[in-house]
Amino acid sequence: MFKHPIFALYGMLLLGAASLASYRGFTFSDVDTVRGVPKSIRDNPGAYRAIYSSYHRYSGGK
Amino acid sequence: MVRTLECPNCGGTVQLKYERTLNAVCIQCLSVLDATTPALQILQKFQGAQRYEPRIPLGSRGKLATGEYEAIGFQMRSIEVDGVTYSWAEYLLYNPYRGYRYLTEYNGHWNDIRTLRAIPTVAKSMSKEALMHRGAKYTHFQTATAATAFVMGEFPWQVRVGETVEVKDYVAPPSTLSSETTAGEVVWSIGQYTPAAAVWTAFGLPGAPPPAVGIYANQPSPFKGRVATTWALFGLFSLVLILAMFLLAIAMPGQRVFDRKYSFAPGTGEPSFVTPIFRFEGGDRNVDVTINTDLRNDWAYLSLALINDDTGVAYDAGKEIGYYFGTDSDGQWSEGSRGTTVTIPGVPAGTYYLRVEPEMEKDGRYHGMNYEIVVERGKPEYIWLFLAWFALLIPPTITSIRAFSFENRRWAESDYGPLVKSSSGDDDD
Repeated sequence: MFKHPIFALYGMLLLGAASLASYRGFTFSDVDTVRGVPKSIRDNPGAYRAIYSSYHRYSGGK
Repeated sequence: MVRTLECPNCGGTVQLKYERTLNAVCIQCLSVLDATTPALQILQKFQGAQRYEPRIPLGSRGKLATGEYEAIGFQMRSIEVDGVTYSWAEYLLYNPYRGYRYLTEYNGHWNDIRTLRAIPTVAKSMSKEALMHRGAKYTHFQTATAATAFVMGEFPWQVRVGETVEVKDYVAPPSTLSSETTAGEVVWSIGQYTPAAAVWTAFGLPGAPPPAVGIYANQPSPFKGRVATTWALFGLFSLVLILAMFLLAIAMPGQRVFDRKYSFAPGTGEPSFVTPIFRFEGGDRNVDVTINTDLRNDWAYLSLALINDDTGVAYDAGKEIGYYFGTDSDGQWSEGSRGTTVTIPGVPAGTYYLRVEPEMEKDGRYHGMNYEIVVERGKPEYIWLFLAWFALLIPPTITSIRAFSFENRRWAESDYGPLVKSSSGDDDD
């Protein structure tokens, strides 16, 4: 480790950052945040305008 | 005692400093003279094309590791390989108590050389010829015929311009073993690669030494030992990564906060619904919403919104699931998956529910599915540890490539270099 101080530092920083990211659960997610959703949605779920509704999707198979 | 004599060829002054000198070279006309005859018989008149100036002036003294030596002779020698002439300088050094040794210089690379009394033994080798000397294995590097192109100073042997010897070099960086074979005589010598700066310091030479060009046969690799130690360090970091993975798995098993089964068939009323409320405790954590279905040759699309009942903040995502299978001429096939997971990062504690809106094909045929929604919170994202492992591979890989490249460049100049192989291949054609 002492023969390669730069690699040692690089490795320790990398391990620390990766462990923290794993612990905190950092992720690249395709989730959007919407604010101010009214409480009435619980009684009328169809009134919620989902961002991803009417998504054009693949259908088929081999 | 210094003897001052007159050159019989040019009349110049010739000084003989050493009793053991057999041949001396007149500094003015470069005639090789017989120092054992009182009248300095001319053995050879200079007929060379070029006069060389030694970088270490003859007569100067230098402190080497083994004592103080005086430069008493200088010669240029050369070999010819594939029509290209390679020349190097040899300085004969003398210490009255320690005898002779040599300094050689080629393209700024210096070697401190002494003759060997012991004869090296042949070593077992799978590929290249090799020798053993004092426990070290020396690998054959080059065999060539060396010719003396220029001489100056005093020599304790018969020296002539144009004289040739067969030279075989074996290397174990930073050492080199060389044999010089003439009719009936083999002289072995061992050399140590010496930094030019050390030569300059030893002889007090002015200025800076010319920079070394290329990689020399026995030049020590700056990567020697580094490849093994960088991989060892990589191994150590890999162990730490595995340990971190275990610790995270133990410390953060994940909390399953919701798990319920549902059914869906399009056209049977309002598809969207909300789940019962569930609660997240603690700080900000990832939430994994997993959907497992029993789809068969069909697809479904689920709009998902994780909604905080207290703040009205919703995390909105959509996921398509499709699973197809069958049999054709290639046999059984399948495509897609029956399940999927949406990861929502950094969800704070609070009271939540899911709003779910499934969709499926509406083409008049029956489509439907049973599915399960599982909400888990606080599971570690192991992907970062895997990415870190790949990033840790970079330094040892680069070191290995550079070490390999260094050795490739070293051996490119040997009898085993790529140019040698290609030229022998051409001959075969």
